[in-house]
Amino acid sequence: MYYLTNTVDMININNLNFGYSKHKPLFKNMSMRLSNGHIYGLLGKNGAGKSTLLKNLAGLVYAQSGTLDVLGYDPAKRQPALLEQICFIPEEFYLPSVKINAYIKANAPFYKNFDHSYFTDLIKEFDIPVEQKLINMSYGQKKKVIIAFGLATQAKLVIMDEPTNGLDIPSKAQFRKIMASAMTDERCIIISTHQVRDLDNLIDTVIMLDENDIALKATVEEITEKLTFKKVKEVDDSVFYAEPSLSGYNAVMPNYHHEESKLDMELLFNAILAEKTKFKPLFS
Amino acid sequence: MNNTFNMTRFGLLLRRQWLEFGKIYLISLVVLLGIVVGFYGYNIPSPFKNNNFDYAGNLDMRFRYPLFLILGFVFISIVASSYFNILGQKSRAILELMTPASVFEKFLAGVVYTALISLFSYLLIFYLTDLAFVKYLNGHLNAFNHPGIKKVESIPQEVFRDEGFGKYWAYFFALPFLITSIFLLGSIYFNRFHYIKTALSVMVFVGLGSYLVVRFSVWLMENKVRYHHNFRNDGKDQILLAILLITSLITFMVWAITYIRLKEKEV
Repeated sequence: MYYLTNTVDMININNLNFGYSKHKPLFKNMSMRLSNGHIYGLLGKNGAGKSTLLKNLAGLVYAQSGTLDVLGYDPAKRQPALLEQICFIPEEFYLPSVKINAYIKANAPFYKNFDHSYFTDLIKEFDIPVEQKLINMSYGQKKKVIIAFGLATQAKLVIMDEPTNGLDIPSKAQFRKIMASAMTDERCIIISTHQVRDLDNLIDTVIMLDENDIALKATVEEITEKLTFKKVKEVDDSVFYAEPSLSGYNAVMPNYHHEESKLDMELLFNAILAEKTKFKPLFS
Repeated sequence: MNNTFNMTRFGLLLRRQWLEFGKIYLISLVVLLGIVVGFYGYNIPSPFKNNNFDYAGNLDMRFRYPLFLILGFVFISIVASSYFNILGQKSRAILELMTPASVFEKFLAGVVYTALISLFSYLLIFYLTDLAFVKYLNGHLNAFNHPGIKKVESIPQEVFRDEGFGKYWAYFFALPFLITSIFLLGSIYFNRFHYIKTALSVMVFVGLGSYLVVRFSVWLMENKVRYHHNFRNDGKDQILLAILLITSLITFMVWAITYIRLKEKEV
């Protein structure tokens, strides 16, 4: 949990309309504000537009209408002052056929706050062979290199698209640890993922995309305040959504009695998609 | 910080682009050298060959000119066509577009690599190869056993001494830049098969353009305009000036379109 003294909107999305073709909109009048000091988890079905939303924020695609404000800049203009404050880790990435040192020498000087010693520490922690050419590394190793590079840039906005894809089990734990330590009051981290269990304890705010808009945006605290996640033997009317498990049902229900429970992100995701109307009044 | 152009950032970008572009570029220079050496080796006059002399009785080195022009066109167009082709691949395009440099700097780096460095390195490689062969040939003139045989001149010596070249070269100055600008645009405009698609587009445009200009001129002026030689031209070839102005203008226009395409590039 992060206690902030100065929370400001780092990202302001206003009536965003976007689609890869005019007849098939992906976002319709989407509005949202994201602020510093948070790790946002962006969830959604395949094709819901998670990666596209991240690309809109990074200025890699252009909105059809509406406004996007990222750190006071319009990302569509691709100004260096903004680009050096964005660390974008895409799902599919490319690294040239050079060693880490050459890559750093060529790319790090663009980021005036680049922290070389932090980068070295991360590379050591991730156990990356520094003498090996980047192109000869495994997918997971390459991913760790770009994550380490991105975090060492000290960028204020960190955008990650499926960062845990391709990482082995120990690396996922390392990733969680590193991300938790990389979080500062000045930073805003947005992670899009399908692997909700990988990031369960990391995310402090959940953003869920569905049907061209935001189906849910709430902090973990808010969610567990309003909903309770527990195992039940039988499903009654108080249950919003339930999935059968070995010893009964995993259920989501309104938290009328202020019970403490742990957020089950996967269950919440399925619940929101299945019973959107039941959840809407709680989080409007 | 200037968000449009900053000299330090531009220098960093040129250095960074070398990491991407440099290795393949150096390999292409080696290939170029191999081709030039190969052509010279095969065509250069030799005591073991017949027909070593041209119509003026000099050692026949005329193969150099078509080689210089054709290979030059192929080399600079291929280099230009490969510069922005990485933007056709999603993963590489993201890395390029997210690099903290302005669109103008990224565009200008493209112009520097494709129009200036490629042209300069081509001229240098051709010049050095030619010089080496000419020196070798002049050192072995006795082997030809030909009385009154004259020394061979290197291309620059021959060209700069030529009256026609001195008079006309400036009018064709923009032509190589026009070629590189068109293929640079092709490299960002098309996502795949950049070279062939650009070449095909140029053929269609030039063919269609020429046809329309001729048809329009005929329709506009046939049997309507009186003309005779040396009419108000002060003895100067106006068409040469027109070639310079038109090729320069089109080059700048194509560069401007390339800049806009780069600015509007989405991944």
